[in-house]
Amino acid sequence: MLQDLLQNTLDGVALGASYALLAVGFTLIFGVLRRVNLSYGPAIMFGAYCATWTYLNFQAGLLVLGIVTVAGAVLAGVYVERLCFAPHRQGSAIAAMVASFALWMQLEEAATLALPKHLYAFPALYEGDPLALGPLSLRIESLAMLGAAGAISALLWTILYRTRFGLAVRAIIDSPTAASLAGINLPRVSLLVFALASAIGGVAGYLIVASHGQVTPMLGMWATLKGLLAMMLGGLGSLPGAVVGGLALGLIEAHSQWFLGPQARDLVAYLLLFALLAARPAWMTRWTSTRSAS
Amino acid sequence: MDEYTIGVLTNVGLFTFLALSAYLLLIAGEMSFGQQAFFGVGAYSGGILTAMYGLQLPLAALGAMVLGALAATLVGLPTLRLRGLYFAMATLAAAEMARILFELFHFQIEVEGETTGPDGTQGFRGIRWVFEHGVEPLEYMALVYALLLVVLAAFLAVERSRLGATLRSLGEDPELAASLGVNVGRLKLGVAAVAGALAALGGVLFAHHNTYIEPRNFDIMLGVHSLAYALIGGLGTALGPLLGVALDIGVLEGSRIFGGARMIVFGGLVAVLLVFRPRGLLDERVVHWFGVRAFKRS
Repeated sequence: MLQDLLQNTLDGVALGASYALLAVGFTLIFGVLRRVNLSYGPAIMFGAYCATWTYLNFQAGLLVLGIVTVAGAVLAGVYVERLCFAPHRQGSAIAAMVASFALWMQLEEAATLALPKHLYAFPALYEGDPLALGPLSLRIESLAMLGAAGAISALLWTILYRTRFGLAVRAIIDSPTAASLAGINLPRVSLLVFALASAIGGVAGYLIVASHGQVTPMLGMWATLKGLLAMMLGGLGSLPGAVVGGLALGLIEAHSQWFLGPQARDLVAYLLLFALLAARPAWMTRWTSTRSAS
Repeated sequence: MDEYTIGVLTNVGLFTFLALSAYLLLIAGEMSFGQQAFFGVGAYSGGILTAMYGLQLPLAALGAMVLGALAATLVGLPTLRLRGLYFAMATLAAAEMARILFELFHFQIEVEGETTGPDGTQGFRGIRWVFEHGVEPLEYMALVYALLLVVLAAFLAVERSRLGATLRSLGEDPELAASLGVNVGRLKLGVAAVAGALAALGGVLFAHHNTYIEPRNFDIMLGVHSLAYALIGGLGTALGPLLGVALDIGVLEGSRIFGGARMIVFGGLVAVLLVFRPRGLLDERVVHWFGVRAFKRS
């Protein structure tokens, strides 16, 4: 019993690490633009499909596939920013969101036209046995995910708090008007933030498909939903919150799946989000400034 | 008209109910990601009432609408004070819960020697009221459009009335509306209930058109589509959602011009359209312009 509990917690943290990465990318975009990018997941899916296509045609190695995934996701992300978010910077949030949904349909159809089967095998990250930690076991893929989540968080922290670009990003998150009055080039920073967020999503997407060993068009919707859910659970708009939200979502899913079954897993996560939104604890609605972390 | 055209046109009509449901909430200033849940509630309850309990379709539709309104009120009570993305996410969570509950919903009985009823992820087969009562596809289409005409007429009448102006003021600025004596909470709840009933009516018609429904029909894709329909067609008039649905299902799918690449063309068109017309084709300005012209002529 205790062993199951510990094992589930371990699995949950590993799963949560991937959600945390998705949520961090989502939060970066939301923080800078105050807009929801529904195409965030589909851009990741597009990257994964680019990699699958490369694998099928050239039998490329894991490193190349990773680079192709990230490059594809960044390309799609930048395309979405140009067409859906740059024109609506001062305008309607709903229009921007619906436009990003329209491009979701585009990306999904482009991917399924290029690779029409419902499911494609993706080369696994690692073929051997899971790591044994006493009575517990940890998949190597999970370890890679945890490592990647840690490394990306550290890198992102360095970018945000140790570079001029990061300073500009934080200034925009705090107040777009004040930032642009201070001479920050809003369009340029937004585009770069989109590229950065898509790159983070691309890394997460690559690790997810490589550890599942398969890729389907559903990856887009899945990544958007999980990213949104984790971002909301962590209190909309805070980067540390996104990490916590992602880990919390992973833990909730791992435990509820074990105790209540796979369908209840998603039910519990949505029920929790609904209850939290209805009750609205203060931490969920407060726009947490990024200054507090420095 | 051949069967295919009739089928496409019927679909345009019945999905317009769902688009109108999203439109009504947008006008009142709320963006719902969850209207597909009430569409699903309508489809399931309507199907259960006709296929399992032998009710007539009109009565079943009425029952489903009441249920849809009730469900929407239940979801609306704790969520309608939320704004923007918070409301959108709360409705999304509610709708996804509903979809999972449909997946867990097993309720089958024997009707005339056949087991029928919702069977979890296997869906719900044999909603055959239309077939059993000898309603021709053309007649069913006429029924859908007759109902749609009634609903659209009601919308257009309300939009010209004081209530319509109040709704739009609520959507523009709820604080201002409240300061002018509008009971914001009650009005929003009423709007949510009507929107739920409308979506449920669409769902009943969908279930009886398809004869088969499954939980996957009511996923988030359908919800975002209905929002997109309302926004593409335009937020200026209730004819906007109809135009949005007609453009997507009618023109692009019906004509099969672009074959497999339909969504690539449509998605790009929508994104570009929204750059120039962020409140849709028939937005408030266009509607006002037409209104002034009609007034001058008469």
